[in-house]
Amino acid sequence: MDYEQIEKTEMIFDGIPASPGIAFGEAFVVNVEDLSVEDERIGVDLVEGEISRFEEALDETKEELKNLSQVLEEEIGKEHAKILDSHILILADEVMRKDTVDIISTEHVSAPCAFHRVIEKTLSAFDQIKDQYLKERSEDIRDVRRRVIRNLLGQKVDGLANLRKEAVVVGKNLTPSDTMGFKRKYVKAFVSDMGGSTSHAAIMARSHGIPAVVGADGFSSYAKPYDNIIVDGTTGQVVLNPAPETVKLYEVARERFRQLEAELLTLKDYPAVTLDGRKIELSGNIETVDELDDVISHGAKGIGLFRTEYFFMGRGTLPGEEEQYRFYRDVVKRIAPDPVIIRTLDIGGDKIANWVDGRPEENPFMGWRGIRFTLSRKDIFRTQLRAIYRAAAHGRVRIMFPMVSVVDEVRAALAICVEVKEGLHRERYQYGKDVEVGIMIETPSAVALADHMAKEVDFFSIGSNDLVQYTLAVDRGNSRIAYLYDELHPSIIRLIHETVQAAHKNNIWAGLCGEMTASVGVHGTLLLIGAGLDELSAPAFLIPEVKKIIRSVTYDETKTLLKKALRKSTSEEIRALIDKYLRDRRPELQEFAIKGSKQADPEERG
Amino acid sequence: MVTGKIKVLNETGIHLRLANEIVSAASKFEATVMLEKEGLEVNAKSMLGVAMLGAEQGAELTLNIEGSDEQDALDTLTGLFETNFGREMI
Repeated sequence: MDYEQIEKTEMIFDGIPASPGIAFGEAFVVNVEDLSVEDERIGVDLVEGEISRFEEALDETKEELKNLSQVLEEEIGKEHAKILDSHILILADEVMRKDTVDIISTEHVSAPCAFHRVIEKTLSAFDQIKDQYLKERSEDIRDVRRRVIRNLLGQKVDGLANLRKEAVVVGKNLTPSDTMGFKRKYVKAFVSDMGGSTSHAAIMARSHGIPAVVGADGFSSYAKPYDNIIVDGTTGQVVLNPAPETVKLYEVARERFRQLEAELLTLKDYPAVTLDGRKIELSGNIETVDELDDVISHGAKGIGLFRTEYFFMGRGTLPGEEEQYRFYRDVVKRIAPDPVIIRTLDIGGDKIANWVDGRPEENPFMGWRGIRFTLSRKDIFRTQLRAIYRAAAHGRVRIMFPMVSVVDEVRAALAICVEVKEGLHRERYQYGKDVEVGIMIETPSAVALADHMAKEVDFFSIGSNDLVQYTLAVDRGNSRIAYLYDELHPSIIRLIHETVQAAHKNNIWAGLCGEMTASVGVHGTLLLIGAGLDELSAPAFLIPEVKKIIRSVTYDETKTLLKKALRKSTSEEIRALIDKYLRDRRPELQEFAIKGSKQADPEERG
Repeated sequence: MVTGKIKVLNETGIHLRLANEIVSAASKFEATVMLEKEGLEVNAKSMLGVAMLGAEQGAELTLNIEGSDEQDALDTLTGLFETNFGREMI
């Protein structure tokens, strides 16, 4: 078939921006889910040959893994290379070898078919495993199966160590074993179907300064090897087989991005203050200690959202007080004297951990999550609070409760904080005595009651992602209605305004730690400044951009902009208002406006 | 045939590396060594078999051993589980 003759149509995918920058390149698809193996019968005379072919493939795979392990050890260290040890162990399984040989000789089927069946049987047992960590080991087994079958079929293994020309690396789920051995100079960008901004590929891309988009649902099944791809790691858009006009647009955008990047990094050591002198605390979002360097090097002053779920998940048991204390303490010490807001466990919803009594819920986003969970599991809550208060002795810590919807929850949580501090005092532990305690504002009821909430706590931090979902009653994972998810919707702007007003009237401060600065760029950021937010927290790579915006405007003019926005009835009107303001008053900020444009209609997606 | 009950002490359960130690220990004996957890019985001489038990910390397993050196095998394996394969216990 002559593929070249077929006109390839442009397709646009929206994923999660994981590492900024724009890259062009040809697709290099890794980790194509299990090669399909058909039932293939062979003649009796071929059985012997098939068995030795199988054993050779095992040996070959083992060699391959050993070599890869060596490359990996040199490139990123011994610890990472250990991932492959377990793969080598699986290959050495005598029972697996014998079962495969038995199937070949008694049923007269080909080696790939027999081996596939043996592994399939093992994998089906993994579905029953409850422990998340042990369950995920099935990925190792799948990985080994892919390698062996590729060798049996004489296909080259597409490990990135073999990548010898520039390419955009595409995969379903780019795991350490998929990406290992890659050379910086050949990898132009990463795109994966799954994963979040803290998945392996995302973290690695950021640390190497390679653009990346993760969570681009379904992308790898559309992308064929050598297809042209444009990756915009700043907006999260991926374009497959771009039309010539699209290529031109992105070439311009790439050039802009390069200039901006150079310019933005010069702002690193300047404060986030408006032209008329309003200072905004600009901080970063993190999940692990590893991300700290990134946040600091991008010029953040402090951490505005330290998520603690990551530390609790993907493990068999609950982390104890000592272990948690050390984890928090490391972050607190590194960021001191700047402050860190530690959010208590926000588990539930999309993040059920394996040790939770994980009865499936009809509607997890309206279910047992955040503070609702920790208040009903006070043992877990107390342990975490004790660890946080102890870590607070080493720097400046603020505690924040997620998913608050009623005042009683705040009071109950504060009572536990008092109890925890008394306990630590009695037991003669060192602990933080002036820890500010605040809540996330992410439910409409918390906004409606903001004046009451403000009397209980020291600060508010608006979680814009959830606030948008709950206010507009839209699940953004549902493609039929995802178009309703809009941070610039007048209802959201009003709620943010009300929240800040209530905070200031009660003499507490208010921040925002959602992705609002990321997904709607300059439009959102201008309104947030105008609303009078005292603190903004963003992912590391966005910090220079947000700082640039803050430093380019006056608080006064953004206040006027917000006042006008509050009178608008649709998102389009708000966008038009800001577009006009940018054109007339701050044309230099239009560079950032590309992200303010409405996201692609779900119907237009691939 | 001899049988014995054992408990997984390791904090992260029987992961692949620990499974390998179990397989190496079991393979030293001529006897057939089977491990059972909640009705699922696997060959303790197979990495994949042991891994697919998905035995987390605290899981209770049964050893079913049959062969000329069965008692010796049972003692050795029980001993290894009781001392958590020489690993630190939490």
